[in-house]
Amino acid sequence: MSATGPRGAAGHGRPAESRGAALGAALRISLTSLRGHKRRFAGTFLAVLLGVAFLAGTLVMGDTLRASFDTMFGNATRGTDAVVRSENTITTPGESQGVRRNVDTALVDRIEKVPGVAAAVPSIQGAGQLIGKDGDPIGGQGPPTLAGNWITDPELNAYRLSEGRAPARSGEVVVNRGAAETGDLKIGDTTTLRTPDPVKVTIVGLATFGGEDGMAQTTFTGMTQADAEKYLMPKPGEAATVQVRAGPGTGQQELVDALTPVLPKGVEAITGQESAEENSDMISGQFLTLFTTFLLVFSGIALLVATFSIHNTFAIVVAQRTRENALLRALGASRRQVTASTLTEAVVVAVVASVAGLAGGIGIAAGLQALFPVIGFPFPEGDLVISGTSMLLPLAVGVVVCVASALLPAVRAGRTAPLAALRETAVDQSGTSRARAVAGAALALAAVALTLVGVLASPSIWLAGTGAVLALAAFVVLGPVASSRAVRFLGGPLERMRGVTGSLARRNALRSPKRTAATASALMIGVAVVSLFTVFGASLKATMDQTVSRSFAGDVAVSTPSFGAGGSGLSPRLAPAIAERPEVATAVGLGRGVAEVDGEGRALTVTDPIALANSFNLGKVEGSLSDLGDDGIAITRKEADKQHLKVGDKAELAFTDGKKDAFSVRAVYGQSELAGDYVITRDAWAPHRGQDSDTLVSVTFKDGVDAADGKAAVSEVAKAYGDPEVQTRDEYAQSAAGGIDMMLTLVYALLALAVLIALLGIANTLTLAVHERTRELGLLRAVGQTRGQLRAMVRWESVLVAAFGTVGGLALGGFLGWVLVKASDGASDSAFAFALPPTQLAVVALVGLAAGALAGLRPARRAARLDVLRAIATE
Amino acid sequence: MNATTTLRNRSWAPDAARVEGAVKVYGSPDSADTAVTALDGVSVGFPAGRFTAIMGPSGSGKSTLTHCAAGLDTLTSGSAYIGDTELGSLDDRRLTLLRRDRVGFVFQAFNLVPTLTVAENITLPMDLAGRRFDQDGLEWTDALIDVVGLRDRLHHRPAELSGGQQQRVAVARAFAGRPDVVFADEPTGNLDSRSGEEVLGLLGRAVREMDRTVVMVTHDPVAAAHADEVVFLADGRLVDRMEAPTADKVLDRLKAFDTRSAPPSEGGPS
Repeated sequence: MSATGPRGAAGHGRPAESRGAALGAALRISLTSLRGHKRRFAGTFLAVLLGVAFLAGTLVMGDTLRASFDTMFGNATRGTDAVVRSENTITTPGESQGVRRNVDTALVDRIEKVPGVAAAVPSIQGAGQLIGKDGDPIGGQGPPTLAGNWITDPELNAYRLSEGRAPARSGEVVVNRGAAETGDLKIGDTTTLRTPDPVKVTIVGLATFGGEDGMAQTTFTGMTQADAEKYLMPKPGEAATVQVRAGPGTGQQELVDALTPVLPKGVEAITGQESAEENSDMISGQFLTLFTTFLLVFSGIALLVATFSIHNTFAIVVAQRTRENALLRALGASRRQVTASTLTEAVVVAVVASVAGLAGGIGIAAGLQALFPVIGFPFPEGDLVISGTSMLLPLAVGVVVCVASALLPAVRAGRTAPLAALRETAVDQSGTSRARAVAGAALALAAVALTLVGVLASPSIWLAGTGAVLALAAFVVLGPVASSRAVRFLGGPLERMRGVTGSLARRNALRSPKRTAATASALMIGVAVVSLFTVFGASLKATMDQTVSRSFAGDVAVSTPSFGAGGSGLSPRLAPAIAERPEVATAVGLGRGVAEVDGEGRALTVTDPIALANSFNLGKVEGSLSDLGDDGIAITRKEADKQHLKVGDKAELAFTDGKKDAFSVRAVYGQSELAGDYVITRDAWAPHRGQDSDTLVSVTFKDGVDAADGKAAVSEVAKAYGDPEVQTRDEYAQSAAGGIDMMLTLVYALLALAVLIALLGIANTLTLAVHERTRELGLLRAVGQTRGQLRAMVRWESVLVAAFGTVGGLALGGFLGWVLVKASDGASDSAFAFALPPTQLAVVALVGLAAGALAGLRPARRAARLDVLRAIATE
Repeated sequence: MNATTTLRNRSWAPDAARVEGAVKVYGSPDSADTAVTALDGVSVGFPAGRFTAIMGPSGSGKSTLTHCAAGLDTLTSGSAYIGDTELGSLDDRRLTLLRRDRVGFVFQAFNLVPTLTVAENITLPMDLAGRRFDQDGLEWTDALIDVVGLRDRLHHRPAELSGGQQQRVAVARAFAGRPDVVFADEPTGNLDSRSGEEVLGLLGRAVREMDRTVVMVTHDPVAAAHADEVVFLADGRLVDRMEAPTADKVLDRLKAFDTRSAPPSEGGPS
């Protein structure tokens, strides 16, 4: 035993010494081979480059935007040293920003007397949407449309006048430059501001925010303080906050400390810096986080797709180099050296491609920075923020993805038997092994079982999610087995259609099931994600449709654009005005309020409950909606169960103004869609409300009134209230789903990258295959295959591989879409409908096939260019 | 064991293929340093219904001559004919169609498409032409399959056959379309002597019993002895012709090259 110790040590010492030299040799071999076969790695290089560039671009842009917003808010509010506001906010589920109670403007006098205060002004903020010159509202499709008082102390005003003057008389306003440009408004123009009641305003000045045209795409209208109090506050004498400026020598924290003792209960002071950070974080939180998460997910998908392409390239290169590796082994190279030489190639490709990708990413970020202002998004100026993380992370991910993808092929290269040098290159049949089929089938079964249990039996997102991941794994494992069958099947018609050319294409695609499967897998994942979103989007639309047709009993709807995002809402006086028309039976307006029910923020529907019951299908109603009064509420069955409430019980509602009232439950209704979970009367809500507005007015016509006449009558009334859009039921359902199409378009644009990488993979595999089959192609040409036939053969092989990937992707995407819809159905209150959109999916399928044909073009051209004699002579 | 001489009287037959003043220069013709003259003004005809062997030392231009005569390669100057068709005037597409319809090939190795079965390999040129099989064609192919003795292997893949069997399939493929002429480039170069003998026997029978035309490049005097006539090339020129060759006579003629004109050669495939 003891003898082995020293010997072992000595034995270790020597190889360790020579290992350096040996690995040096491996490195030399791999570098030489890389130089010799640059073309082979072009696809891998591009795949890594694109993935890394996307990732790095996203990170750099996120950092840059965040920094720019910080700078912008910092600049805009530099003069504000403290902000006084009420402490409480009520946040309802699904909203990022809470509703904060107003403060009394009488506080201003008290604050001004505090030592160290140079100035204090009330700041009024509300929703106000401008109408552009063409009569269309400006903004309102996402970013807020704000209105407020024009603060005359320039130090305390976040906006700066760039042209014109401040509003002096009632009806005069300053608007931010971006909004003015969008609406083609100039100084001196008169237009309408929806608050939501239309207010006639004259523009007397244009303003900038932090030096930019506006605060991102938010629009701002500054009115006189009296106007602002009148139109934006529930009653005069209130303001959202009080902005305070410190006198010389008083720091922000000192100021806050001095203010705090004089403030009434429930009102707080924060430093100007904290306020700016909060605002900046709010924008980042609302917009950037969503935006960057979105992009990161897509770069993840792109890199996942790249994994398959990279693995494939290395697998083929290793297979082609079997003889060379065997010769190295026969000459005395160790397994480790052969493996290391392949891995070194991977590392070199990965590092070079990733570094190029980083440069590309910075380029993408710079490009977007330049592009944003062009598409009307004022990107705050500033240099790109390139942090260590946003460089190191993509670099690491790129290298890890590339090297990990090459690991298996490298190990296989190391296992090459020295004798393989003497054999003909073996045909790869391993893909169709029985063990693989069994394992794959087991995985697939487990996936389906888990998902079904997770979706149907005991709804659980985790079970369903695990099932979905297993399904993906099953597809990858089963790929080679399935590829033989699928290509045989899909290629059937091809053989009849294209004769021997089709037959050859089909058999070429069948040659190496593993390779075909790996090539197709990349496209499959891309197509799967596309179909997943397509199916989910269509299902969402169907859900909206179903919701509207099930719960909306009105004839026309007047609603704010999109779902409550931006805009100023509808005037509460619109519904009563419409109701006065002779054509109209009922017109009911729905407003929105918030309150805490047993400590949790909840959205309230503020309306006339009796009219509500006429215009909306509320399902089964227990109790009565007709006498809620000012101390009663109606709630849905679901909420009632959750809060353990029944008709006759009392529930305590806490409002933003700090008041708490006990309400008795007078009715419990079945369906919450559109009508919301809590219904409260206008009278009960009035004492607690902020800016008064409705989000939806539902109109029912009298019997015998023609739909077009009725709609025209409603539109006429609406014209006087800022001309909001009047929609029929179908139009309403469609506009509710309009946002989904926009989201899908964005998703498709991003997924195009993943599909592009998959195509590069197919093209690369085919190019390598053409190289591998040089002699065979030469033979075919010699015995009379025309160039056209040869091109067609390669192209069709590409189409077949793409068809397999596309069909697999459609199936997987459809399944995952179903899982997602069902899981959402189980997890949320509203009922989700599942829909398979045949047209869109057919388009996806066609795009997949066309992509395959496209990917085959270059390899086909290269193959056709082969010189017959050279091809035959190639050893 | 040499080929029969009874067919010598057919030397009056028209040429199935011929080249006139064939010159082939590889590399840039402008720079004399890199240019290699493979054919230096060769004129030779291959009469229809005859089995002609082309011999010569390595680098003598044997393979180049067949490639150019068969339309696989183009001449630098001079002209090549299949029947009456001048190949130089054909574009790539017509040349391909001519190869497909009027010429057959047997190469030294890699004659078969690995994804196709034996039967499909045999009918490949016709399939590429999209040609329907008439009764006559079916009978011909059927007879051919019996001649090469592969009826029980028709649905096998090339990888499942021995080298000799593969070459027999290649011979069947070459004759399947009843081409004007079949060019065989070292068809026995990769085979053991027994398999080689079988393949050469097949080529001989095709000429004598089925009235086909074969042009074969070889460096093996025994193989050349199966032919009706041997033409000798050296340094890109036609140096001799020999009717009714025997292995011994051919060997003697080759030895004469070594001592007299040609540089010493190892006699490998050229």
